[in-house]
Amino acid sequence: MAFKKHSVLPGFNLSLGYTLLYLTIIVLLPLSALLLKSSGLTAHAFWAVVTEPRVLASYRVTFGASLLAALINLFSGLLIAWVLVRYSFPAKRFIDALVDLPFALPTAVAGIALATIYAPNGSMGELLAPLGIKVAFTPLGIVLALTFITLPFVVRTVQPVLQDLEVELEEAASSLGATRLQIFWKVILPTLLPALLTGFALAFARAIGEYGSVIFIAGNMPYVSEITPLMIISKLEQYDYLGATAIAVVMLVVSFGLLLLINGLQWWSAKRLGRR
Amino acid sequence: MSIEIKNISKQFGEFKALDNINLEVASGELLALLGPSGCGKTSLLRVIAGLETPDDGQILFHGEDATDTHVRERQVGFVFQHYALFRHMTVFENVAFGLRVRPKKTRPSEAEIKKRVHRLLELVQLDWLADRFPAQLSGGQRQRIALARALAVEPRVLLLDEPFGALDTKVRKELRRWLRRLHDEIHVTSVFVTHDQEEALEVADRVVVMNKGKIEQVGTPAEVYDTPASPFVYQFLGDINLFHSRVHDGWAEVAGARITQTDEPNAANATLYVRPHEIDLSRVAAGSSIAGVVSHIRLLGSTVRLEVEVAEHDAVEVELTRERYAEGDWKVGEAVWLNPREAKVYLAG
Repeated sequence: MAFKKHSVLPGFNLSLGYTLLYLTIIVLLPLSALLLKSSGLTAHAFWAVVTEPRVLASYRVTFGASLLAALINLFSGLLIAWVLVRYSFPAKRFIDALVDLPFALPTAVAGIALATIYAPNGSMGELLAPLGIKVAFTPLGIVLALTFITLPFVVRTVQPVLQDLEVELEEAASSLGATRLQIFWKVILPTLLPALLTGFALAFARAIGEYGSVIFIAGNMPYVSEITPLMIISKLEQYDYLGATAIAVVMLVVSFGLLLLINGLQWWSAKRLGRR
Repeated sequence: MSIEIKNISKQFGEFKALDNINLEVASGELLALLGPSGCGKTSLLRVIAGLETPDDGQILFHGEDATDTHVRERQVGFVFQHYALFRHMTVFENVAFGLRVRPKKTRPSEAEIKKRVHRLLELVQLDWLADRFPAQLSGGQRQRIALARALAVEPRVLLLDEPFGALDTKVRKELRRWLRRLHDEIHVTSVFVTHDQEEALEVADRVVVMNKGKIEQVGTPAEVYDTPASPFVYQFLGDINLFHSRVHDGWAEVAGARITQTDEPNAANATLYVRPHEIDLSRVAAGSSIAGVVSHIRLLGSTVRLEVEVAEHDAVEVELTRERYAEGDWKVGEAVWLNPREAKVYLAG
């Protein structure tokens, strides 16, 4: 191969070949089947399906809520990682283990539990109702469910980087006259940026695809709290396979574009840290 | 800016890192804290910097109590062994950091910052690297940038923690000479920590030898090398041979041979310290000779090191210049006489 550089590490051809084969079978094959299937529609019909007002509203809900959930976790995830790394307190290991729970819990269970608690007669819903805040069966509920599901991503990507952050950097900044706030802002945060972006991208991607937990708490009102995955399912239930694939293709393209963008950002900031 | 360290103690759990340290650093001098790892030298440096709070004692900067002053306000420049450069900033921004974090009132203008950073980069002879990131520099260059960064805030005191510890031998030698020249140029009171006795002796105005949280000796490089105050200092500043000895009529004797005179008239147990290059070899016995057999000969660049087996002793190391070695034409297995030119006696107990 022309682009193969001579290297002491053996097995370049074998490992690259395996990687491509694996990605083809696991990722590309189902996705291309999707694309192939959607080509059964004419361009005109395709456009009509994916720009249906109800579908357009669902894009807004899905991408908006996912973005919001990922942003919330960007901050709270950083905070949790910070507390877990920087301080020692009783039951730290227990709390550390709690963070992973949203990964392990069946998403439907999470959705039902959240819906029960935040319903107007639920334990949290009762407290919030007098304040005029409705969580369950509103877009707010979707954001809540997505925040719950995507909590571990930012924590788990930032935690190791924060752990490896040399204390000397902060000491150096301190001896140069920087305040605590300046040290956090000018020294710690830029170092964590690539990890934060990675965690954000993972959380965002996971939230876009989330279905199980959301449908229980969303209320699924057309134009208000319907997520795009639900639109796909409802098309399937009506045996409208072509319409379902068309919407899926749109989600796929938009998600891929956004992930590519975030990865690019992350690559750029990692490059600035000299970690090429 | 003079520094006065008064009765400083510091304990980490069970471990006594600093045990009642008293030391004065004169204004404008370059002082080395020398000792094996774990002797407390780095802890002392960090206490001076304010990165560590002492359990007991006082630090005075120019007569003023600075013990409770935060490191931020202490105006010290600190250089770390592993550079601690900010990786996401260019060399220029690293050096400018200390100026940029100042409160608005005292912060210099952008043009002034630019001027000062470039002047510092010229001082460390790396002006051409201003736009690079630390990852693109060699170890020696990184440490010079770290030094420029520390100097940018115009510190009253410069503190260096094993500044050349992470560099290879050749760069280390170049850099320590360069540091010495730099210090002669800017004359900021400096304290540096090292475990390398050669480095301390070559660079410093005065050397503080530390062991187990205590100061063993303070003096100029010549003083600590020529008149070690304790067996520890003797051992730490270069190679030594130990001889079991007894003192008889004011003479320290090894295997019946009178080696050197002592103040103490008689002692059953004494130890004689002799440096390898302070021993002569001969084929004829003199009054103060110790018999031995050459067992190994190793060439070490400009010198030759011979190992001589002596009855009832560890092997004795003798270091000869190439010329003297060639003159003597010594062979392995040959019987020789050892004549120590210099020796120091420490009485046991």
